[in-house]
Amino acid sequence: MSQAGKRSRYVLKRLLHAIPVVLAIIVVNFFLLQLAEGDAVDVLAGEAGSATPEYMAQLREKFGLDQPLPVQLGVYMKNMLSFDLGYSFRHDMPVSQLVLDRLVPTLLLMVSTITLAVGFGIILGLVAASNLNTWKDNVISIFALISYATPLFWVGLMMIVVFSLKLRWFPTSGMENVAMFYEGWDRVKDIAHHLVMPTLTLSLFYLALYTRFMRASMLEQASMDYVTTARAKGLTERRIVFVHILRNALLPVVTMAGVQVGSLIGGSVIVESVFAWPGLGMLAFEALFSRDLNLLLGIFLLSALLVVAINLVVDLLYSFLDPRIEVG
Amino acid sequence: MRSRLYSRPERPTSIVVKRALSSVCLAVGLIASTQALSQTAGGTMVMIAQPEPPSLAPYLSTSGPIGLVAPKIYNGLLDYDLDLNTVPELAESYTVSDDGLTVTFALREGVKWHDGEPFTSADVQFSIMDVLKQFHPRGPNSFREVSSIDTPDELTAVFNLDAPAPYMMRAFSAYESPIVPRHLLEGEDIRASDLANNPVGTGPFKFVEWKKGQYIRLDKNEDYWKEGLPLLDRIVARIIPDASTRTAAMESGEVHYGAFGAIPNIDVVRMRESDDIGVTTDGYAMINPMALIEMNTTKAPFDNPVMRQAISMAIDRQFLIDNIWFGYGKPATSAMTSNFEPLGLYSATPEFYPESPDVDAANALLDEAGITADAEGTRASAVVDLIPYGEDWRRAGEYMKQALADIGVDLELRYEDVPTWLKRIYADYDFELNVNYFYQLPDPVIGVQRHYGTDQIRQGTPFVNSTRYSNSDIDELLAAGAIEVDPTARGEIYAQIQAILGEELPVVNLFEMEFLTVYNEKLKDHTVSAMGAYHSFDRAYIEE
Repeated sequence: MSQAGKRSRYVLKRLLHAIPVVLAIIVVNFFLLQLAEGDAVDVLAGEAGSATPEYMAQLREKFGLDQPLPVQLGVYMKNMLSFDLGYSFRHDMPVSQLVLDRLVPTLLLMVSTITLAVGFGIILGLVAASNLNTWKDNVISIFALISYATPLFWVGLMMIVVFSLKLRWFPTSGMENVAMFYEGWDRVKDIAHHLVMPTLTLSLFYLALYTRFMRASMLEQASMDYVTTARAKGLTERRIVFVHILRNALLPVVTMAGVQVGSLIGGSVIVESVFAWPGLGMLAFEALFSRDLNLLLGIFLLSALLVVAINLVVDLLYSFLDPRIEVG
Repeated sequence: MRSRLYSRPERPTSIVVKRALSSVCLAVGLIASTQALSQTAGGTMVMIAQPEPPSLAPYLSTSGPIGLVAPKIYNGLLDYDLDLNTVPELAESYTVSDDGLTVTFALREGVKWHDGEPFTSADVQFSIMDVLKQFHPRGPNSFREVSSIDTPDELTAVFNLDAPAPYMMRAFSAYESPIVPRHLLEGEDIRASDLANNPVGTGPFKFVEWKKGQYIRLDKNEDYWKEGLPLLDRIVARIIPDASTRTAAMESGEVHYGAFGAIPNIDVVRMRESDDIGVTTDGYAMINPMALIEMNTTKAPFDNPVMRQAISMAIDRQFLIDNIWFGYGKPATSAMTSNFEPLGLYSATPEFYPESPDVDAANALLDEAGITADAEGTRASAVVDLIPYGEDWRRAGEYMKQALADIGVDLELRYEDVPTWLKRIYADYDFELNVNYFYQLPDPVIGVQRHYGTDQIRQGTPFVNSTRYSNSDIDELLAAGAIEVDPTARGEIYAQIQAILGEELPVVNLFEMEFLTVYNEKLKDHTVSAMGAYHSFDRAYIEE
């Protein structure tokens, strides 16, 4: 069988495997969320200031919260199978619409963060490892340690104080300038301008992680026999580092990146909150506190799908990085 | 100049309101709103809406963030100025009959809904009878005496009452009782209507767009019925979850206005020194927030009034205000807020609301009542629940733990998330002490009664009588106070109520809260009504 055919069969197999995984995630999440005290009606009534018991009973009936749990789960699964994520009673909107509205800002933040963190992490790790125990290595290692240890919210707030309030380079928060409502290219520039500080803040933590990881991975590979062989062959140090060591050292870093994409959705809650970035993390956070279970399940499902998809991509990436690894 | 704004201005008793309330066979002419329109028009005002409103349906929910946005879109029949005088809105004037059983509103001509349909008395009838009286959280109470509304012509609405309802006249603001479009709601499921997310009103601003998690955009209503208004081209309500970021956005000038403590007091103390930023406590006279402790009167030892009296005497209210709320507040002196004084309804009950705490007297009271201490000096142990609306309440709990230790009450603090807390207090009654705050609103019938009435013990309903205090004397007095139209007699009834509650103390009031509005000095005429942030902002403008 050809390589391409093998690969597409592999993808198909993985996708089929993903179905029970995703279903299990839904069921587990559903029951997990039931453990929380109170329901959406309690929250709505509490916010409204007061409500009659009849009104609350009516709401529960409308939301289907008066049904026994297995029935509620059954209804949810049935809707799921017809690609209907249900309805958020709190927002009075279909869950799919709410989630899709937030998906673009989330992806913007995630892709820019991952690119920055993995890209610079690899470069810094490479520089540190190739200049082992010199000042360059020390500076990079100390930088990584400090940014790893600093709480995200503090970094975010300090960025706001320095770059928004003092230097006035960037807006404090939000995704676009709501006093202007730019259109076309101006809007793209405006959003990019708003994206800078959240991305920097969020990537700082991951950047440190990848830098340390890359450095360790490079050092490990450098002591391998194949490096000695390469050196004995008379290859230049440059070629050894970039062609031989780097490719091998990248494997664990890519694995790590794949695993962390999932946690980026959750881990960005703090950054989304500090910079008022309208992402999925904040939406999930608020949904939890308002017991908007349909919405929460929808977000969980989406992030589960995202993680499954990205892990598949990562596994495929392996075989490109290291042709010895075969898919199948 | 800002120091002037900190002090709570004394409000003269409003003659118009008193006359309206007494409703003695005279047509009450309403003050015409005349004003010079020399202000600069145009510009965008950015305000903070926090937390994000659940919907934009002010006819279904009195949730605070809805109140910030919706009154810019919808009008009420009346408004109330800073001195609590009645100001005309959709109603040009009203008359109350001799017996107080008929209220006739003359409506404004030529008012149009944002979709171009004309506004008529049928909208008023529908809004009150079919929407607010049925679905609004407080509407069934505010309009409980209204049996029907006649519409003899398109611009007259006649309210027929079963009994006089003096408090009702204070519930006609755009926030409390918005007038909604009949042509868009009639025959629909009111609670599921699309109007909740796409509001159509008669107000100065039209709803344009709601980007969830980001902002709500309202643009100027060019056909607004007030000549030359509104002045602003646009209002954008921004959602910024983090308090420190809200402060930074205010300091950088990205937002112009934040009310209801959107900017935490701890930052206000610093910001009020700035020339660009102003602070005011005005605009909360219709809300009257009161910090308090609810006591479970079914659980020993809090079933004993003496225990409750001792707690009330041991707490240093001024300490809470000065150290946790940075000086914004006023110690409570009765079951009702002193802001009811202009209405003649407030009377102080100093015995168990001492000016400064009296721990010795409190201990003596407990000893006398036979609530004695064990070897460690503990008379009782209890868990105190803290309202999960911010860090200030945790600090308050920490203070109380220390203060009540002095009278031998050993407290354990509990801080849960909102749904868990609501269920515990109002559905399960699984608590001993609960630190909370309530809005006493413009009239005790609307805001205070729900705390103490036996009929207000409604399991599962938040923010009603959670202490399960029941006293038939109080019930009778509350019922009498609701329908008494003579202000003096009404004042006497509420004095009796406060005297009884001042001894029984099922709820120990802590202090009258002062919410802060923080604004950019460029923004003018934002606080022009007793509704404060819940006003239409039709006269607000930005000075460049």
